[in-house]
Amino acid sequence: MTVMKTSMRNFFAHKGRMALSAVAVLLSVGFVCGTLVFTDTMNTTFDKLFQATSSDVTVSAKSASDSGATDSENGRPPVFPASVVGKVKAAQGVKEAEGTVFSTSVTVVDAEKDSLSPSSGAPTIVGNWNSNDARTMKITSGAAPRGPDQVMVDKDTADKHHLGLGDPIGVISAVGTHRAKISGIADFQVTNPGAAIFYLDTRTAQETLVGRTGVFTNVNVTAAPGVSDAQLKKNVVGELGTGYKVQTAKETADANQKNVEGFMNVMKYAMLGFAGIAFLVGIFLIINTFSMLVAQRTREIGLMRAIGSSRKQVNRSVLAEALLLGVFGSVLGVGAGVGLAVGLMKLMGSMGMHLSTADLTVTWTTPVVGLILGVVVTVLAAYLPARRAGKVSPMAALRDAGAPADARAGRVRALVGILLTGAGGYSLYLAGSAGKATDGSLWLGLGVVLSLIGFVVIGPLLVAGVVRVLGAVLLRMFGPVGRMAERNALRNPRRTGATGAALMIGLALVACLSVVGSSMVASATDQLDKTVGTDFIIQSDSGQRITPQAVRAIKDTPGLARVTEYRTTQADYTTPDGRTLKNTDITAADPTYASDLRKKVVAGQLKDAYLPDSMSVHEKFAKAHGIHLGSRIKVAFKDGGTAELTVRAITTSDDVIDQGAKYTSIATLAKYVPADRMPLDELVFATADQGRQDAAYTSLKSALHDYPQYKVRDQTDYKQALKDQIGQLLNMIYGLLALAIIVAILGVVNTLALSVVERTREIGLMRAIGLSRRQLRRMIRMESVVIALFGALLGLGLGMGWGATAQQLLALEGLKVLDIPWPTITAVFLGSAFVGLFAALIPAFRAGRMNVLNAIATE
Amino acid sequence: MTSAVTIPRHGGTGGRTAVAARARQVVKAYGAGETRVVALDHVDVDIARGQFTAIMGPSGSGKSTLMHCLAGLDTVTSGQIHLDETEITGLKDKKLTKLRRDRIGFIFQAFNLLPTLNAIENITLPMDIAGRKPDREWLARVVDTVGLSDRLKHRPTQLSGGQQQRVAVARALAARPEIIFGDEPTGNLDSRAGAEVLGFLRRSVDELGQTIVMVTHDPVAASYADRVLYLADGRIVDEMHRPTADAVLDRMKDFDARGRTS
Repeated sequence: MTVMKTSMRNFFAHKGRMALSAVAVLLSVGFVCGTLVFTDTMNTTFDKLFQATSSDVTVSAKSASDSGATDSENGRPPVFPASVVGKVKAAQGVKEAEGTVFSTSVTVVDAEKDSLSPSSGAPTIVGNWNSNDARTMKITSGAAPRGPDQVMVDKDTADKHHLGLGDPIGVISAVGTHRAKISGIADFQVTNPGAAIFYLDTRTAQETLVGRTGVFTNVNVTAAPGVSDAQLKKNVVGELGTGYKVQTAKETADANQKNVEGFMNVMKYAMLGFAGIAFLVGIFLIINTFSMLVAQRTREIGLMRAIGSSRKQVNRSVLAEALLLGVFGSVLGVGAGVGLAVGLMKLMGSMGMHLSTADLTVTWTTPVVGLILGVVVTVLAAYLPARRAGKVSPMAALRDAGAPADARAGRVRALVGILLTGAGGYSLYLAGSAGKATDGSLWLGLGVVLSLIGFVVIGPLLVAGVVRVLGAVLLRMFGPVGRMAERNALRNPRRTGATGAALMIGLALVACLSVVGSSMVASATDQLDKTVGTDFIIQSDSGQRITPQAVRAIKDTPGLARVTEYRTTQADYTTPDGRTLKNTDITAADPTYASDLRKKVVAGQLKDAYLPDSMSVHEKFAKAHGIHLGSRIKVAFKDGGTAELTVRAITTSDDVIDQGAKYTSIATLAKYVPADRMPLDELVFATADQGRQDAAYTSLKSALHDYPQYKVRDQTDYKQALKDQIGQLLNMIYGLLALAIIVAILGVVNTLALSVVERTREIGLMRAIGLSRRQLRRMIRMESVVIALFGALLGLGLGMGWGATAQQLLALEGLKVLDIPWPTITAVFLGSAFVGLFAALIPAFRAGRMNVLNAIATE
Repeated sequence: MTSAVTIPRHGGTGGRTAVAARARQVVKAYGAGETRVVALDHVDVDIARGQFTAIMGPSGSGKSTLMHCLAGLDTVTSGQIHLDETEITGLKDKKLTKLRRDRIGFIFQAFNLLPTLNAIENITLPMDIAGRKPDREWLARVVDTVGLSDRLKHRPTQLSGGQQQRVAVARALAARPEIIFGDEPTGNLDSRAGAEVLGFLRRSVDELGQTIVMVTHDPVAASYADRVLYLADGRIVDEMHRPTADAVLDRMKDFDARGRTS
């Protein structure tokens, strides 16, 4: 009981010193809880949406996806004849059955030919206005579409693009471009996270999306009273046979949910991963705080031991303080997490993804997970300092307190650190020289973990050397103030080491990813330069296929020497080794592709793969399946017949562009796949007449003006786009790593603040003999900068090592060029100096304000 | 209660340089209203240049406060303090810091040295901070005087208590301040080490012409001074020239007895 009482008193007596540790716990727990609340809320939103929009039973074509999405390779939704609706109606228990038609393989543009599609990755849906939609949406102005020139738009999209009644709209599908004017605006009765939805009347929808009337994509079936969805499904299947996909509302909703879940789990676990890194960094901060508190309280603890407290009691009293800190930080963290989730929802809202706070979902597991994580991590982190407190001898009470003795980094630490770092380095070496990517990645993971732990352990030993070098380079020019800052950073290597290590972790990851990212760009650029023999690449950034009309527009552009179409589809392969590979990619292109992408060939000639009934495979695939030149592979095309193709070229496997592609010609594909099922182009390559690249680029751009969903890029722009894309991804990761770096900065602030308290008398003395406030503040700032740069140096070194190893490993996958982004590395290093300056702001200010007399008088 | 017996007259020995520091009607009070405590009650004092002055008095008499005020470490409630011709009362922190750095030396009771610096670095610290080069000859003489020549590269933790205080004395002397203030500089030392340090202080006055003000409650320490000022209840109640330990002790006993009967 007394243990708890002294712990409580100590905790509140030092609440200032605990504050930063509490913030670290709060941030980490907050991020975990925020992630959980946010993803749960998204799930709720989608759940409600899918439940509201599914009818009791939905019938669709056999080839339609479970979720009802109608993205298809040929750009048209899978349909069935209108007579099916009548058959469904005849089934028992059907109250109502209504044919619907809709498609997501569309782009909608406004009068200026600007795309109205969401930029968030949510779908654009065009369909017929039916009673199911009428149930879930409310027309807020105008009327439902009637006739070929009317279209109704959802309110969110209308608001976002400032659309009003009468505004012209163009719907671009594989059929062509259909123009209409807005006749009405309808609002969702549940939260629509971001899809743009356009309604036409049934006939217009059929003509616009499919190209003919009398067909539907779905039948929405409503059950008669007393008939369950399952029963209804059975009855409908009984009537229709097995040629259709029949799903209950729950099945449709679940399939949709599963689709969304995949993406959301990736997001959830990625964010939790970053929260984990923040926790790791927070551990250093907590260890430092408790170590310093124990050091400052040595005399007090000695007294407790002298008057009869057992080791265990002292030990426990420190842990009890940690427990209080953990509970306090975690409780606040859970609250902060909910706030963070709301903030994220707002952020998503500004990016076009609508989530309603009414759907805010906090399950009971969220606070429980947050609390347990926060408390367990805090108590574990405080364990070492607590043990050290228990070891304080009763004699300590009698000794002069003074400054705590310099902690000596032991020989055991050196040995363990060197062993771990060595083992880590060796693992990285093995990873770099591995012959197979799978073995290598295992070694890489092991190497990263071991070298990180090794650096953390050995850090305090490196402090002396690194800080002296930094001091010689940086601090000497600041004279005695610099020298004192250097000595202060050196006086407790364990503390400086742990504080720097916290920063090291975040920066190592930044350095590693920046090396891998820029190597990716450099490798791809290098390969583009070496292998791409075409001028322009046309594709949709959202992955939509290119409609025949757009392809025609490209082909009609003047000044082009050749245009190459490129599309992929799936097929079941039966290889010579007798195995059948289901749903395997096959790439169909025009024969000119052989000169557009000069892929290295290990056997045969690439252009021969485009001969009738021929194909190419890549080296690894060939080896795995016993394929040689002249081997014949049975290829059963999806939506088509089965061909027997002869292998006439074997391409190299280590490439970045079109890695692992198996080529055949579009003509061959057309022989086996009927025209209305023929997949559309994914990419189109255009090559200008010699010396007329600039003119052709301009013409191509204007030719594609009507199709805002497609982008034409020359090689320079393409490289830039690639760079931007990787840069964006990296920026997102850096943004998430910022959390860990912020916690690390808090750690620097914490160390400095506690050091200032610890050195009160010294500061008083220096002030008494004439150190000005400004000099004092500068001294603390310098110390901070040195600690930060120490962490940065270790982190960047370690990270570049990891990055280079990863590149070596990925060279097997085509990442041939190592590119170290020196500007980024330098910026991070310099930025760390500023982080140091920033972290010292408050501690330096407080030290400057210290009253000289009080400081001298302090025990 | 006796009032202040002697108020040294300004320019008693002729010329303004004779007085290194002077206080006029200095009041230092803490708190306000009911809880107001007066630590210094209209104190007038002149510190003669080139002399060793000791300030004595029982605990709470205000002797440390007086020293802190004279040294520019503490502010006064009212009155003026001059260091030579400079009035230090009312100076801002920046000027005060510079004044302490360039014109004043300190020796505290304990914790005089920075643990991260070695002996010689500690000695030259005030000059380093000021960005001044120490006078090599003078420095050598000071170091020699305090007998630290073979200990200069040692860290404070490697020195004995007496040695540490000698380093502090050397630091105070090295920058040739106008005046050195000692706050019980031998309070933590055994009598032999204490005598050593006091001997250095005495010699620095006699041989180097240094002005020293020292707060102490030890009659033996006070006997090294040229003049002893007695403080009680925030006032100067007596003074003694050319004291001996016994005379000081007697005087103290006297005060003690009077304090008890009054």
